[in-house]
Amino acid sequence: MGFLDINNATKSYGSVEVLHNVDIQVEEGEFLVLVGPSGCGKSTLLNMIAGLEDITTGQIAIKGNAMNGVHPSNRNIAMVFQSYALYPNMSVGQNITFGLEMHGVPKPEREKAMAEVAKLLQIEPLLDRKPGQLSGGQRQRVAMGRALVRDPDVFLFDEPLSNLDAKLRVDMRTEIKKLHQKLGTTIVYVTHDQIEALTLSTRIAVMNGGYVQQLGTPKEIYDTPANLFVATFMGSPSMNLVSVKIVETDQGIAAQTTNGHGKTILLPFLNASAELKSYAGQTVTLGVRPEALTDPGGADRDAANVVEFDSRVLVTEPAGSDTFVTTTLGGTECNARMRADVQVRPGDDVRFAINMDKAVVFDPKTEKRIS
Amino acid sequence: MAVASSDTAIRTGRITRTFLYLVLLLFALFYLLPFGVMVVNSVKPLSEITGGNMMALPKVWTFEPWREAWATAQIGVEPTGLRPYFWNSIKMVVPAVAISTILGALNGYVLTKWRFKYDTMTFGFMLFACFIPFQIVLIPMARVLGLTGMAGSTPGLVFVHVIFGLGFTTLYFKNYYQVFPTELIRAAQIDGAGFFRIFQRILLPSSGPIIVVSVIWQFTNIWNDFLFGASFADLDSQPMTVALNNLVNSSHGVKQYNVHFAGAILAALPTLLVYIVAGRYFVRGLMAGSVKG
Repeated sequence: MGFLDINNATKSYGSVEVLHNVDIQVEEGEFLVLVGPSGCGKSTLLNMIAGLEDITTGQIAIKGNAMNGVHPSNRNIAMVFQSYALYPNMSVGQNITFGLEMHGVPKPEREKAMAEVAKLLQIEPLLDRKPGQLSGGQRQRVAMGRALVRDPDVFLFDEPLSNLDAKLRVDMRTEIKKLHQKLGTTIVYVTHDQIEALTLSTRIAVMNGGYVQQLGTPKEIYDTPANLFVATFMGSPSMNLVSVKIVETDQGIAAQTTNGHGKTILLPFLNASAELKSYAGQTVTLGVRPEALTDPGGADRDAANVVEFDSRVLVTEPAGSDTFVTTTLGGTECNARMRADVQVRPGDDVRFAINMDKAVVFDPKTEKRIS
Repeated sequence: MAVASSDTAIRTGRITRTFLYLVLLLFALFYLLPFGVMVVNSVKPLSEITGGNMMALPKVWTFEPWREAWATAQIGVEPTGLRPYFWNSIKMVVPAVAISTILGALNGYVLTKWRFKYDTMTFGFMLFACFIPFQIVLIPMARVLGLTGMAGSTPGLVFVHVIFGLGFTTLYFKNYYQVFPTELIRAAQIDGAGFFRIFQRILLPSSGPIIVVSVIWQFTNIWNDFLFGASFADLDSQPMTVALNNLVNSSHGVKQYNVHFAGAILAALPTLLVYIVAGRYFVRGLMAGSVKG
């Protein structure tokens, strides 16, 4: 039993079920990110934890106490909203202490708690201002202050950074991470931004169509996505997916495909699993992250299984830190991430290196990963 | 060339503008004329009115008609002037405006932030109330007032006006609260504020403009109402409008036009005042829902 338990929770509106049997156990101090495209049910799930939406079936428990039917204010949670939801008629100080006031905390204690939070978030000079006089980043801080001051069991964040401009978003992301490390609080965080999910979380739940597609650490999600949806949704640029044929060779199992010239190439697997072997002769989907497809000099030296081949360059996109090179594998356009200073031009025939340690294989019918 | 053309442009602008202002001035005068006539005739002796020109300025200035209309004129059978009826109106208007505005705000709050089954239909019925001709409900309403023992009293009138004002005030507040961010309500819920606390601490402090709209609208309508006042009020609860009618109709012998004019202005003054004091918020409040994102 975890700190926050979501047991078999579903949500229906009328006869339409929008969230199907969600099971997540969150330990104390964990940073769980719910990530997925719009309409995947992540905000609904968050609102169910908050008590803003009721739970159709199943149970949500905090510290072992069932929260079904418990009023939001009695769940000992705090929420940071996408629009910050600061009360426009109150000063920053009043905004922060409103929750304490509603819970009947005496004034001296409220003042003390407010001072502590203001110091922590460095918003002391703003306490007498109205939210309308603050910048986006300042409002964000105040919204977090309002959540922190209650000292709740669980913090809920509903896309808190999506209203900020790009640079500020990165700064605030680091702030949130620092805050989590410092306070060790339990956080459930909703976002549609996969970078935010990967950078902030200790665990990620990738959601789509009302189902949790995969629940795991950022590394698990990134390296061994459970299915094609997770593979393409997480990571930017997204994973290259190539149709390949599994063949048995003298050296073992290999993926057979064609390079940019239509010439057949073999990509052998080391230590292929029994499950993968059973696919011999069949067509599967090979997933390769752009950074696992690079120039030979840029390939991971610690990798055990790097295969080199020639292919034609279609497009180059210098991105400063890297150069993205497009070529074709098995007739599909693939994105390779090469070192920044490689000299390649469109139309060139270049040597590519593919790190097969990092390659994953999916069954094209079930879309599930073949282990 | 450039200088010459810009010069003409300015001149054309000036001519057009002069013309515009002239027309506007004419219209303003036209609209003000009735009021002007009333004021002018309310400060002259009756002999000047009956003796000749209604439009002429008074030769002798006198405030006697105003004093008479206010304190001593014959209203029905009593020579009380309009004064007691003015207070009747105040006693009716203030609670009626306050209650209908507060209830309208609560309705708007519930209809937008605490949605329930059939809420749209409920609101539809309330809107319907805005468009029912008053004559239709006179007899049923008289029956209800009779049954509840409120007939012929100020509370009865307040009740009637609250009922008929509610449709409009609900409409105003519903439209205003529709664009009020729901996340604020949710944040307050998580903070532990209840239904009324959210209303009082979060919603009402942000409702200034729409409260002004509701108050002006209700004040004007209820103060100016004649039909309900004439139908449901007793002698000691009659509002100003009914009394004014009695003043004009109950003259013995000579019609005292100057007193009538003064009385009519007295009856119109409060609505005018409310509009002058709060009028600039009126348009702002009406527009608030439409321009806010």
